[in-house]
Amino acid sequence: MADIADIQKGPVKKETVIDAHNISKVYNPDTIPVYAVNNVHLHLLKGEFTALVGPSGSGKTTLLNLIGGLDKPDSGNIYINGVDITQLSSGELIDFRLKNIGFVFQSFNLIPVLTAKENVEFIMLLQGAARPQRDERIKQLFSQIQLEDKLDSRPAQLSGGQQQRVAVARALASKPRFVLADEPTANLDSQSASNLLDIMDKLNKEENITFLFSTHDQRVIDRARRVVRLVDGKIVSDSATVSTEHA
Amino acid sequence: MIVMMAWRNIWRNKMRSLVIILSIALGLFAGIAVLGLYKGMMKSRVRNVIDAEQSHLQIHDPDFKKDYEPKFTLRNGASLLKAISALPQVKAASPRSITNGMLATASGSSGVQINGVVPDLEYRTSQLKAKIIEGKPFDQARKNQVIIGKKLATKMKLKTGAKLVLTFTDTAGNLVSGAFRVAAIYRSDNAPLDERNVYVNINDLDNLLNIPGAFHEIAILLKNDEDVGPVQQLLKHKFPGYQIENWREISPETDLLVKTTDQYSYIIMVIIMFALAFGIINTMLMAILERTREIGMMVALGTTRIRIFLLILTETIFITITGTPIGILGGWLVINYFNKHGLDVSGMGGEMMSSFGFGTMIYPEFPIDKLLGILVIVIGTALISCLFPAIKALRLRPSEALMR
Repeated sequence: MADIADIQKGPVKKETVIDAHNISKVYNPDTIPVYAVNNVHLHLLKGEFTALVGPSGSGKTTLLNLIGGLDKPDSGNIYINGVDITQLSSGELIDFRLKNIGFVFQSFNLIPVLTAKENVEFIMLLQGAARPQRDERIKQLFSQIQLEDKLDSRPAQLSGGQQQRVAVARALASKPRFVLADEPTANLDSQSASNLLDIMDKLNKEENITFLFSTHDQRVIDRARRVVRLVDGKIVSDSATVSTEHA
Repeated sequence: MIVMMAWRNIWRNKMRSLVIILSIALGLFAGIAVLGLYKGMMKSRVRNVIDAEQSHLQIHDPDFKKDYEPKFTLRNGASLLKAISALPQVKAASPRSITNGMLATASGSSGVQINGVVPDLEYRTSQLKAKIIEGKPFDQARKNQVIIGKKLATKMKLKTGAKLVLTFTDTAGNLVSGAFRVAAIYRSDNAPLDERNVYVNINDLDNLLNIPGAFHEIAILLKNDEDVGPVQQLLKHKFPGYQIENWREISPETDLLVKTTDQYSYIIMVIIMFALAFGIINTMLMAILERTREIGMMVALGTTRIRIFLLILTETIFITITGTPIGILGGWLVINYFNKHGLDVSGMGGEMMSSFGFGTMIYPEFPIDKLLGILVIVIGTALISCLFPAIKALRLRPSEALMR
């Protein structure tokens, strides 16, 4: 187990990727207000592998949505690499997400009419990447997720674990500042979940990719190097953990 | 990639897409069939007006058509007829003496237009001989023969060989009568004209009108329809002082009918496509609602709303235009078949068709001149149909869509 301060220690000061200040999100403000996220502060540095944990309804997904620019907070500011995304218009947010944030969703949200390769390529096409760059990146990513032989398979032809690995590859295709993963292992069997976590862990360690994932899967929590615990929309604890596997 | 995604998306629910594609194909087929039918009917009507009724051009004394006064014969008619007949563009020219009068039999009377004609020339310009259904054409050896229309014959209970009296005024205003015998009964595709027009030998009528050797009208049939304008201008230039009209001016109702029918054709297409638009909207809306989460995810990943709109628009256009060639091909095949074999509508209101001047055998024609218009209507329908589903998709908030 290591404290957050330990992560910041070292010869080079780590770059801040996410800096959320006093963010709140209230549902039904005029009737029975429900604080999905209540005055949350969260500070993430480059290369962190952070789990956002808490019971159902604790506000994990809402917080991820706010940090990912999919929703706007009712109060507070969220700085991503120095840009306050709460001040961006919806059009600017779309562009910002495309260039800065990778998403992995709970239920392997791949586009069913596209092959695994095309799903990953889709993001790079949105970014306007040229074909040689796309081909090279696809080759690299599919090698990392160990699915080189499934390039032309449609999502329906892949297992849940394989689909989620393609989703990770897609999230990384745009070379984002960080990856947000909403319960990435929730629908996976233990072997698939373990494989996925191995890949994410490897990417984090070898390529210094920042991961923030919501989960209540103990397997994920065990491997996270920082755990932020939410209850009723508030952060009740924020500590770094080192899984026994990596200890 | 949007184009490829759109194409694949429409085949996600094959049955639903096929139903709407076939609906569009059927709708277009029906629309094209109606357009082809109208085109065939209008062409046949125009041909009737030109070949069997008015000819391409007619020449009169400028005062004649005001009151059909018999004294307004064509000046130098014979030399005029000779000059016109010699023109290379002219297929046939026929002189006519015309007066309005009363046809009387023992059982009744009816107002008629009496046309004095030179039989051989008239047969070439108005196909009078070909229209005879009972009796024989004019016999040059016999005097005071009359050819009457079937409708008039039925109305006046006349048969070939029957006697009748034609009464009218001569050039001096005197009432004159002549006893004529029915040589033949004709039937054209225009029942009202059959009821009104009777034909006699020009010499018999001229004698009674007291205009020997003169006539009131020259009907000119040209070799090509396209020559109407130039020949009319040429005649006006060469023979000033005459009223020279083309068939559109003589029969403005036919011209109006053709133009109005053209507009109706487009209205029918628009109505068909309007009805189909609801089907397309329904299909697209279902497709969008089923993919709420997917669209939300695409926006979350960084797909701009304009790209989402383009995706839905492309899908709608694909679903619309996929049925288009099927409908057009079906229409073309059916129209071509009936263009060769004819479509007999005598069993479905033949009387009514005839009363409007239409034949009962229709030869539909593929409306190739309207294909561009049809495609514009189809694409327009796709554009309009995609708007509602697209707006629905564009209003999705990614965070909410992903929760569904």
